[in-house]
Amino acid sequence: MRCPVCFSRDIDVLMIPTGNAFHYCPKCSFSGRESEVRGFYRDIQKKYHWMGRRVTLEEQRAL
Amino acid sequence: MMYFNVFHRSGEGAHYEIYRRQQDLAHGLGLKTTNFLFYRDLLNDRALADAFADRKNHGSEIALSLHGINHGELAGISNGQISLWLLDRARKERVIATIVEKYREVVGEDPVAVANYHFDSSSLALLKEIAPSVETIIGGCFEEGVRVFHGCNHSWYLFNEGMPWNPWYPSKTHTLRPAENAEDAAGVVAVPHLMRDMSLAYEGRNDFWASHPPNVIRGMGNEATYCPYDLNLVDSFRMQEEWNGGTSYYNTFVSPSWLDWNHNSEYPPEVAWELYTKFLQYMASLKAEGKLIDMTLSEYGRWHRAHKPLGRPEVFLAKEILYGSGKHYFWYIDPKRRVLVDATQGGSIGDLRPYAGRVEVATGPDTAHRDIGSYPYLIHSQHRSGNAHHCYDGARTTLLVSDGRQTLDLCNFRTKVAAIETGDGDTTMILTPVELAFDSGLRATLTTGYRFLAAGGLWISRTISGLSDPAATLELTEYFKGAPGRTEYPEDLHGIRLIVDGESPAEKEFDYGGEWHVSKGARSVAALVPHTHTRVEWTLPGEAPTPVSAGFCAGHLFSPFFTLKLTHKLSGHGTLETCLNLTRYDS
Repeated sequence: MRCPVCFSRDIDVLMIPTGNAFHYCPKCSFSGRESEVRGFYRDIQKKYHWMGRRVTLEEQRAL
Repeated sequence: MMYFNVFHRSGEGAHYEIYRRQQDLAHGLGLKTTNFLFYRDLLNDRALADAFADRKNHGSEIALSLHGINHGELAGISNGQISLWLLDRARKERVIATIVEKYREVVGEDPVAVANYHFDSSSLALLKEIAPSVETIIGGCFEEGVRVFHGCNHSWYLFNEGMPWNPWYPSKTHTLRPAENAEDAAGVVAVPHLMRDMSLAYEGRNDFWASHPPNVIRGMGNEATYCPYDLNLVDSFRMQEEWNGGTSYYNTFVSPSWLDWNHNSEYPPEVAWELYTKFLQYMASLKAEGKLIDMTLSEYGRWHRAHKPLGRPEVFLAKEILYGSGKHYFWYIDPKRRVLVDATQGGSIGDLRPYAGRVEVATGPDTAHRDIGSYPYLIHSQHRSGNAHHCYDGARTTLLVSDGRQTLDLCNFRTKVAAIETGDGDTTMILTPVELAFDSGLRATLTTGYRFLAAGGLWISRTISGLSDPAATLELTEYFKGAPGRTEYPEDLHGIRLIVDGESPAEKEFDYGGEWHVSKGARSVAALVPHTHTRVEWTLPGEAPTPVSAGFCAGHLFSPFFTLKLTHKLSGHGTLETCLNLTRYDS
């Protein structure tokens, strides 16, 4: 899993498991459980308003 | 019609089976592929037998990759480095000669299609010398540079910005610069390594938003196996056919490691497979509808030579399709320049590559450029600030409009691209009008047009209409703030000379003094930039009325840019044109 805090800055950093269900980031101070990390991922994706939208050629022409 | 290349390359161990599955997928859909054999594959009987069988049974091409030079006897030459462009010229020559000799021995032919992540000019010259048979190459990754370096935790030293987004004829002295003529040309057709989102590759990482479904997973642009963006991106390139002679180009190049467990994906491999499959199925459906032709790389190169004359301008209208922002970017390229117009910032130039200077760049430890293979910019509003952020603005152009009491900055007004006209000669682009409202109560409508002359020269028109006071006079100031650069960090600007004509003409060496020099009645202001061998000049044509002044500023260390201003007056409704010209300058 990649650190969601670094990823929100467009940086890929792999988190390191601590062995007690937590993962920590070697680049920033974030640590958290996988469920929390995946929740952050969903937050990051909220900015992609059209992530789930098929925009066909004709629709793109009209944009 | 879209022309489409599917590129595949082998993997080792379990990844070899994934590569074979990729081939089966493409062939099952009736799509040809181009198989890039690494040096290690040339020593592998199975890899060779499979490639020959794919050629015989499906028309897929056997091609050569110069990447992965850390195998066999090559490792002794490369010292274990993986990439050709990082070696000095002597070692590049030994590596290429070794690979080409082996290719001829085991394939029984001279290589025609060759790939590399980045082909610096010395690598390409050596390749053509050793293997004159090479016709078509994968020549580089569009805008892969600063953003990807940051994004890969500051570990991906591939600086490859400032190139064409579509296939091009590389020049001899800088592979990323399109050649001006046959003498200038390196003798091959190049295609980019993947097609990139022409909005988001400017704003951020180009490697998330590309013709590579697992890369989109890396960018978190998918919801499991649902990712309409992959198809939206294809259609954004198909849309360009309207302004580029009725044709478009697309390719994909997914390596087996992206279809396995991958540390840059939070999904299992099945998700990447499903999305890669859906993408190729869409391309096959376009083929079935007669809207797409699949080719091998060398087939495309031959088609390109027959149909795309050297030096012909191309444009790309990028309508942002992931955030749903409504943004438009307009890209223009010819052998003199590559220009990005940011319609959302009133039509300012956000990225300017002055190809007219013909900057020579080869990479390697024996060169001054070392690992930075980018074509240098004069403006990059993303790397170098752009519109005013705190106390100073950064690299950009804009128009400042004054009613005598208040100045409005066009960068703060959103526009869209309203019309584009292209052909064999000039290219014009018109933006949607902007409604200007001054505190004095004066209102006006401003429409901006860009006219790119095929011979050079960029004419920018400003049309004032809809004045609430038809007798009002407005001062229009064309503004250019730039600096030569290759990354986000400033370069040493000493050596730049600034020139203005008019009643108090002046010529000044850049001194970081931060001082403005303004000359009344001036019609021309210019900067001579030895870093890019470029003279950038803004002129008001002789027949245009009422020049007011022009001026320049050599910036200071907290604002390391040169600035040019050209001011003229317009009374009532009308249009004024100025010319922004880039020419070669030898210091």
